[in-house]
Amino acid sequence: MTSSGLTRLIHSIAFTTLMVWGLAFGLTGTIDASVGAAVAASQEQTAGSVPGASKGSLSISEFWRGISRGEAGKVSIPDQKSAIMINRTGETWRAVRMGPLPLVGGVLVGISLLGVLGFAVVYGKFKLHGERTGRVIPRFSQPERWVHWFVACLFIILGLTGLVLLFGRYLIKPVFGADVLGALANASLQAHNLFGPIFIVALAIMLVMYFKDNFYQKGDFTWALKGGFFSSHHPPSWKYNLGEKSWYWLLAFAGTAVCVSGVFMIFPTLLDDVKGMQLSQIVHAICAIALIAASLGHIYLGIWGVEDALDSMTLGYVDETWGLEHHRWWAEEEIKKDHAVADAPSAVLAAKNNESK
Amino acid sequence: MSFLEFVEGPLWYFSAAVFVIGALWKVVGILRLGRKKDLSIPRASATGGALKAQFLHFIPHGGFTFRTIYHLVAGYIFHIGLFILVLFAAPHVAFIQTNIITIDWLKLPYWGFILAAQFAFAGLILLWVRRISDPVMIKISDRDDHIGSWLTFLVMLTGCMALQESVDALRATHMLLVDLWLIYFPFSRLMHAFTFAFSRGYTGAFFGRRGIVP
Repeated sequence: MTSSGLTRLIHSIAFTTLMVWGLAFGLTGTIDASVGAAVAASQEQTAGSVPGASKGSLSISEFWRGISRGEAGKVSIPDQKSAIMINRTGETWRAVRMGPLPLVGGVLVGISLLGVLGFAVVYGKFKLHGERTGRVIPRFSQPERWVHWFVACLFIILGLTGLVLLFGRYLIKPVFGADVLGALANASLQAHNLFGPIFIVALAIMLVMYFKDNFYQKGDFTWALKGGFFSSHHPPSWKYNLGEKSWYWLLAFAGTAVCVSGVFMIFPTLLDDVKGMQLSQIVHAICAIALIAASLGHIYLGIWGVEDALDSMTLGYVDETWGLEHHRWWAEEEIKKDHAVADAPSAVLAAKNNESK
Repeated sequence: MSFLEFVEGPLWYFSAAVFVIGALWKVVGILRLGRKKDLSIPRASATGGALKAQFLHFIPHGGFTFRTIYHLVAGYIFHIGLFILVLFAAPHVAFIQTNIITIDWLKLPYWGFILAAQFAFAGLILLWVRRISDPVMIKISDRDDHIGSWLTFLVMLTGCMALQESVDALRATHMLLVDLWLIYFPFSRLMHAFTFAFSRGYTGAFFGRRGIVP
């Protein structure tokens, strides 16, 4: 063997030895390969005791319990949120989302539905007591009616798709199966996210448009104390009674909350915080349920429960008798202002002329 | 053959044939009606008036602007949104390439689709709302108007609901409604998509011949 061949052999042996030691060190944390097995054995817990080689004041078990409790560690990067490995609020959110939220929400919507049905059975339709005069009073302008029905259409679409998303697991899945729920939930989510932004704009316009006459004022509570809807003869009220004004303000506050939380749900990165997203979801659901439950009463009274009430929102005017029976103070003011007109065609013509001005 | 294959296959070809033949039959029928001989002394070109009217009637004339502003705006945002969706939505482009012509063209990004759909939906709902909340429109709207509006709405709605393209049943529902819409089209006022040109032409020729800007 030449000297250069011997040199290559020594280099090879040295390199191989180094690699074996390096591997042993990497796996065991020690240069002595025989120590690896001893370390592994010493870290086995016996009877819940702290492993002998652990460092620091906490046992390994406590360390992991801390993580599962959502405790923050230390990180050297700017995003301090990454110091929390497990966010416990997610579990709390899940428990609320899958427990009390659908349960209480379902009960509330159910009570509202039963209440409306019960009311319809007991009280039936509120018919006009007096004879129609033929003279009519304009009640809602054309833009007010457009905006109302536009919001109503969107509300119904969003309400139905939202109900599928919230209650589908409990109502659709047991009857039709997971596949049908999957398809419906998928479809509902797409529609919900599509119509949501349009609803925000429409609701804002409607709240501004109907703002003027919806302040609580003297007489509103008298209306309620005299029986409100439950009275055989409607107590007098202004353009909107206490119930209608309360519906407006519910729509204003809960509707705004629904819109804001909805934006955060469509664009979750706006919040930069998972707790905010969870809160948005809960707020969105609670407010939406409140609105849906209340809307059932509004829909019932507007479409079927009160005779001729629908006319005010489709034709724009009501018979003088209707006005005096349901909203006496408002009707008297309108008559005094000479806003009542001889007949329906005159009201339509007057409205068209007003639009052209 | 699955239901999806049926609505995208035989039913699609049948409804497309009904649409094309039915629309042609209607258009030819209207043309064959002709018009009464105009005995007035011609002061200007009737043809010129007919052509002018095609473009001038895209915007309302001065005195009617305010009264027509609602359905003008709603009509435009609905139709423009709808055309964008029909022609440039990525699933539509793919479907047209598979079933009609193989030319490739612009596909909307996701945000573009959503925006166009929102405008189209807002416009369509506003137009329908007018039918139920204007005393005059209530009187002159019949079942055909409502069916046309609702069918179009449902076609659009199911299309948007199937946007993720992850559930065959949603795509099949959308295609079924598209097929129904195509079959209904030639026998309804949805034909205004073609007949508006004749209507404008007729009015334009009538006034143009009399030297009046149509």
